[in-house]
Amino acid sequence: MIGFWQQLINGVTVGSTYALIALGLAMVYGVLRILHIAHAGVFTLGAYVGLVLHARTASLPTAFLGAMLACGVAGVLIQRWLYRPLLNQPRIVPLIASIGLFIFMEDLFRLLAGPYVLAFRLDAEVRPLEIAGAAVTGVQVMTLIVTAVLLGAVWLLVGKTWLGLGWRAAAQDLGMAAAVGVNAHRVVALNFAFGSAVAGAAGVLIGALYNAVYPTMGSVPAYKALAVIVLGGLGNVWGTVVAGVLLGLVETFLVGIVGGLLPRDSIAFVALILMLLFRPTGLFGER
Amino acid sequence: MRSTLGRLTVMAALLMVVVAVPAALGQVPTIKIGFFAPLTGPAAPDGTSSRNGAQMAVDEINAAGGVLGRPLGLVVYDDRLSASEAVAIAHRLIERDRVVAVVAGSYSGPTRATAPIFQSAGIPTVAAYAVHPDITKAGDYVFRNSFLGTIQGKAGAYLAARILNAKTASILVMDIDFGRALASGFRTQAAAYGLRIVSEDTYPLGEKEFAPLLTKIKGLNPDVIYATAYFAEAAQIVRQAKALGITSRIIGQEGYDSPKFLELAGPAAEGVIITTNLNRDDTRPVAQQFLGRYKARFGIDADMVGASSYDAVRIIAAAIEKAGVVSPPRIRDQIYRIANFDGVTGIIRGYNKLGEVLKTVQVQIVREGRFRYFAVIDDPAVITPPTE
Repeated sequence: MIGFWQQLINGVTVGSTYALIALGLAMVYGVLRILHIAHAGVFTLGAYVGLVLHARTASLPTAFLGAMLACGVAGVLIQRWLYRPLLNQPRIVPLIASIGLFIFMEDLFRLLAGPYVLAFRLDAEVRPLEIAGAAVTGVQVMTLIVTAVLLGAVWLLVGKTWLGLGWRAAAQDLGMAAAVGVNAHRVVALNFAFGSAVAGAAGVLIGALYNAVYPTMGSVPAYKALAVIVLGGLGNVWGTVVAGVLLGLVETFLVGIVGGLLPRDSIAFVALILMLLFRPTGLFGER
Repeated sequence: MRSTLGRLTVMAALLMVVVAVPAALGQVPTIKIGFFAPLTGPAAPDGTSSRNGAQMAVDEINAAGGVLGRPLGLVVYDDRLSASEAVAIAHRLIERDRVVAVVAGSYSGPTRATAPIFQSAGIPTVAAYAVHPDITKAGDYVFRNSFLGTIQGKAGAYLAARILNAKTASILVMDIDFGRALASGFRTQAAAYGLRIVSEDTYPLGEKEFAPLLTKIKGLNPDVIYATAYFAEAAQIVRQAKALGITSRIIGQEGYDSPKFLELAGPAAEGVIITTNLNRDDTRPVAQQFLGRYKARFGIDADMVGASSYDAVRIIAAAIEKAGVVSPPRIRDQIYRIANFDGVTGIIRGYNKLGEVLKTVQVQIVREGRFRYFAVIDDPAVITPPTE
């Protein structure tokens, strides 16, 4: 039974990070219908900014806020200078531009920070817990808390503010929303800023969780997050969160029970293929 | 205008230097030794160590007067851990650089792809630390200066059963040739010692999340965990095992033998025991001088990879010296005749007809963030390499 609780906590932690990365992707897709692959580059940027700030200031909140700020700005810049000029092109064009930007970012990180894995050790700062005989590391505790806070913020923003109203309007029909007085450019920019900031926080969390920050740390999340937003029903924010956590749990329990029969990272894609074949609207899709 | 003229003058001057220098040294042509390693990409830390070790050996030999009165020159290429890149490099080393011998300072993939090329060109090649069995099977020009994966696996089982008196073991298999060879060696020898294997799980290279497998192993509570890994995965395994409160002793191999492992794993590395090629507490002068000079020159502790490449260069140099002539077949003959060579990676007793090295396996333990002496394995049942 200890094994069960331990695996449950392992799975929820991993799943939380998937949910955070995929959240921004779902928000962008919801409004612009763009598959924003370079989102994973923004996530890696967050890990590096968090690492540098933590090394300089030894302050965890500074590392998180700094990473979120830097990624938010990066998200707005990408939206303004890459996607906005391409919005009227066929959808394949922004997709290819996005993949190109992602490759560019990976190589930029490699040139700036070197090809090495950098250590990002936060173990000592956050206290470990023990729940029902299961060990929960400090970084896992931090991951769960940060995820809860950020999801709470998203819930408030989307459901309770004019900005959320604008997002929902833009998601239904960007042109019509603009016609009835929604400042479409600003709504889209804030959407990118917020989604990217959340990815930045996820970058810090994953960097700390695995004590490893490196240029290509975004490559698996880039494609796994795609699987997660499809599972969640493209553009459905809450479906994406549930799908992310679910994927973390399924991966963890499957590997824990049957061992490494199937590489862990392949499970998301098997699920993606099955989903596209049998239920293309996702687990909770309506459209 | 003036600045253009100035620039031209400088360029002309540089050109004259480039032309003049080799002419001045023309009387003693260098003896060229080829070298390749992954200097960029995920294996860059190992590739860099490997090149450092080889370059240091060349510089020391040259400072002491070279070989047969001629200086050695190391021709270095970056294979980016790609077998296809390494194949192109091999052809360049043979046809354009015209090297007389090669040190393969890379992993098994690139080394295995190039071994048949050097064999057919008749260029003696020493694989510094690559472990795949096919490498030496390429033919009589290819040698290996480190242990086969299966030998290290056997040494791991010897360490668990005979030195640590373990009764039960879990195995974590990295799903590549190296991991599988280690696991198969461990399994065979464990059966001979009555060491019971309670679980065996495979994981893909590049895995970061080991908690699901380790949680399962925690429930089985084996005496030791034989975890095959390279340094990045090894660091995740020992950190996550520690976080889960696992008390089983973790046994690693030479893949752990990197300062990057100690850095990434931090305090969780304490007490981890590995089988490797380099004893940090070796009292022989050759080892102590190497460790001291390496640290002084590169500002980082030497690892098994650097030491292995250092030895590989010195073995080739010794063979050239003994041959008395710079001729690849004669160099090969002399490598076969090497006996009790005083290497940094131990006393090299010699090479068998397959080109496999015979030497003792070093067992190191992590204490206070450093690899320290724990034991040496010289049981012939473990360390004797296969002859075919």
